[in-house]
Amino acid sequence: MTLRGCAVGSRLEICQVTGDRRHRRRLIELGFVRGAVLSVIGRGTMGGLVLALGDSRVAVDAFTAGTLLVRLADA
Amino acid sequence: MPDRPLTRLVLEKPCCDADAPGRDVGHARVALVGNPNVGKSTLFNVLTGARQRVGNWPGKTVSVARGAWRTPDGEVTLIDLPGTYSLLPGSPDEALTRDLLVDRGMDGRPDVVVITVDCANLARNLYLLAQIMETRVPVVVALTMVDIAESRGIRVDVDRFAEIIGAPVVPVVPRQGRGLDALRTAVQGALAVPGPPSEADLGEEVESVLAEVIALLPGDALLRYPERWLATALLTGETVPGVPEDVGERARAAGACLFTDDELDDLETVVAERRYAWAHRLIAETVRRRGDVRATLSDRADRVLTSRWAGLPIFLLVMWGVFTLTTKAAAPLQTGLQDLVDGPVTRAAAHGLHGVGAPEWLSGLVLNGLIGGVGQLLSFVPLMAIMFVLLSVLEDSGYLARAAFLVDRLMRLIGLPGRAFLPLIVGFGCNVPALAGTRILADRRHRLLTGLLIPFVSCSARLTVYVLVAGVFFGSRAGTVVFAMYVLSIVLVVTMGLLLRGTLFRGMSYEPLVLDLPPYRAPTIRVIGAQTWQKLQAFLRTASGIIVATVTVVWLFASIPMGGHGGFGRTPIEHSLFGGASRAVAPVFGPAGFGDWRPSATLVTGFVAKEAVVSTVAQTYSMSEPSDDHRAGRLGPALRQTFDRTSHGHPIPAVLAFMVFLLAYTPCMTTVAAQRAELGGRMTLFGIGLQLAVAWLLAVAIFQIGSLLL
Repeated sequence: MTLRGCAVGSRLEICQVTGDRRHRRRLIELGFVRGAVLSVIGRGTMGGLVLALGDSRVAVDAFTAGTLLVRLADA
Repeated sequence: MPDRPLTRLVLEKPCCDADAPGRDVGHARVALVGNPNVGKSTLFNVLTGARQRVGNWPGKTVSVARGAWRTPDGEVTLIDLPGTYSLLPGSPDEALTRDLLVDRGMDGRPDVVVITVDCANLARNLYLLAQIMETRVPVVVALTMVDIAESRGIRVDVDRFAEIIGAPVVPVVPRQGRGLDALRTAVQGALAVPGPPSEADLGEEVESVLAEVIALLPGDALLRYPERWLATALLTGETVPGVPEDVGERARAAGACLFTDDELDDLETVVAERRYAWAHRLIAETVRRRGDVRATLSDRADRVLTSRWAGLPIFLLVMWGVFTLTTKAAAPLQTGLQDLVDGPVTRAAAHGLHGVGAPEWLSGLVLNGLIGGVGQLLSFVPLMAIMFVLLSVLEDSGYLARAAFLVDRLMRLIGLPGRAFLPLIVGFGCNVPALAGTRILADRRHRLLTGLLIPFVSCSARLTVYVLVAGVFFGSRAGTVVFAMYVLSIVLVVTMGLLLRGTLFRGMSYEPLVLDLPPYRAPTIRVIGAQTWQKLQAFLRTASGIIVATVTVVWLFASIPMGGHGGFGRTPIEHSLFGGASRAVAPVFGPAGFGDWRPSATLVTGFVAKEAVVSTVAQTYSMSEPSDDHRAGRLGPALRQTFDRTSHGHPIPAVLAFMVFLLAYTPCMTTVAAQRAELGGRMTLFGIGLQLAVAWLLAVAIFQIGSLLL
């Protein structure tokens, strides 16, 4: 599944980062790599999400959320 | 998997151009590198104080601050390179940082790199550090945000960290001046005995492939680039200038036996993942966490500030606050300064000039030209200071990133990121601080586009003219007309945004939003004060010349008589060179229905400052300025008469055309000065041309169509 429909509060593990090379680079350099665990901590306007990735907080729009393939992380 | 060492020592010399130990520290170059929002620029400001200058890197469009850092061994040049998350060149900013670190052919390379590492967000910062270590430039790590990390129960074993990376690690809190001496000592040491940091271990497969690739590298490429960096770059599919393409192909072929097909397609990701894995191993080795990771205060604030239901109202409230402060709060200070210059300063100067027996023309030049210009400039200082303080507070507190997230989708419609909302809103108060506000945009093209759009935002100075003119011609419906001007202003910004995006800024691709949200922090007065002062100085340097020169020229034109009417400085405005010039310009406005010298003269002074328009209207009719904008007194009938005549009986469309011209053409010379400071000379000229063309075309269209209907 993609991150797009994930509920606030869910803990997810990144399976794959898709999109063009430039977009993937930007996500990867912020720490969105396979195996990284993130949680959705807020939902903004028009499908945007606020994510916690380790110690950092990153806001993404609906498009970006759709490029991140995730699965539920083990508790 | 058996435990592999985290790093390996590098035994050879760091690079071919490093001199022998004990070299002169004076004139050495030290570059500051680091992620955005980790206190890098704060550290730079504290280390260099006022001894700094900001300018483009030679031959590049990248703005870099350089400053002098005093050490006991002499002065070191400190270079504040743009914040970056990686050495993969995604933008000109990142490309500059990378080239400076890896390309020995570049001029101005640093002798030592100080990398700021955010203690409260280690993984991402260590990812950059891993790449910098590959370049073999001597490194000193400045560990920032130590206080925030400690408040979250994060402790870093600094000695172990330094031991692993083979370079000094110094915790600093620049805002409080902590750790700066230790940092200085570490940098002096690195300059005196330069040595490369260790190599980050990227795991068995990558390391074995890298060893193979290194064996393939041609000798001349190794003279120019550090070998490990070059091998990684070629393996991940980068083209490196000066390295034949077949070397890159062979490098990728070397990886074929060890990686799956999917991985081979994207070795860049594979290597990035290994770097992150290294970062996490380093964290496991050096960081102790006390207690559980729980929701921080920042997270709780974000639940409200970025939420769907509360986020936007709070955002609008903050924007309203910024708008009010840049208009209302600045106003008394502005008038105060203006009165001080117009009153006591002018009187004292007049007295002085009279005392030394200065000729009349000299008094006129000094009093009305120079002092008048300086007065106008000074009246903008409080406004700019307030704007700069607000910008710093919004940026440093971390709120600006949230605001950008909230309105991002809306702003994307005209091709701009969410952050561009702030300067555009501020523009309704005054375009000058709004232009300065474009600095919050990281991308130069976004800054240019926003800077070109801002003059179409109707500022409060234009309001006074709308109110006077609409009051005369539209009576009780004046309010509606004024409101319509604001609507038109927004329509203009959106239309011009779409037009420019579709033409001049066509290459500007849609960028999905991925935005780092720094933790909320209380901004400190020291940092805000320093930032405000630097920006204010820069504004005064660039703006003062244009403003004083324009005011002087207008005064000169108004003083020179034409056709033998009175002497210098004693001629009625109608018979001055200024009146003559206005008369010469007037026919241009014929098709717009107001081809008379008086409206033209008004528009000419409007170019200098919209605040001066009302008084010029009065002057051209040889009347005193109406004390109340709503009751234009005798000025009303006179104005109506002029427009009746020039429009051949269609005064309403002519007046609307006049007002729309006023809305769309160059706001004032201070805006021009600010545009020049922010966008550069060529773009400023293009902007002026654009404003005049749009204003004229709109005015003509409105009058021509309007006179058929009304």
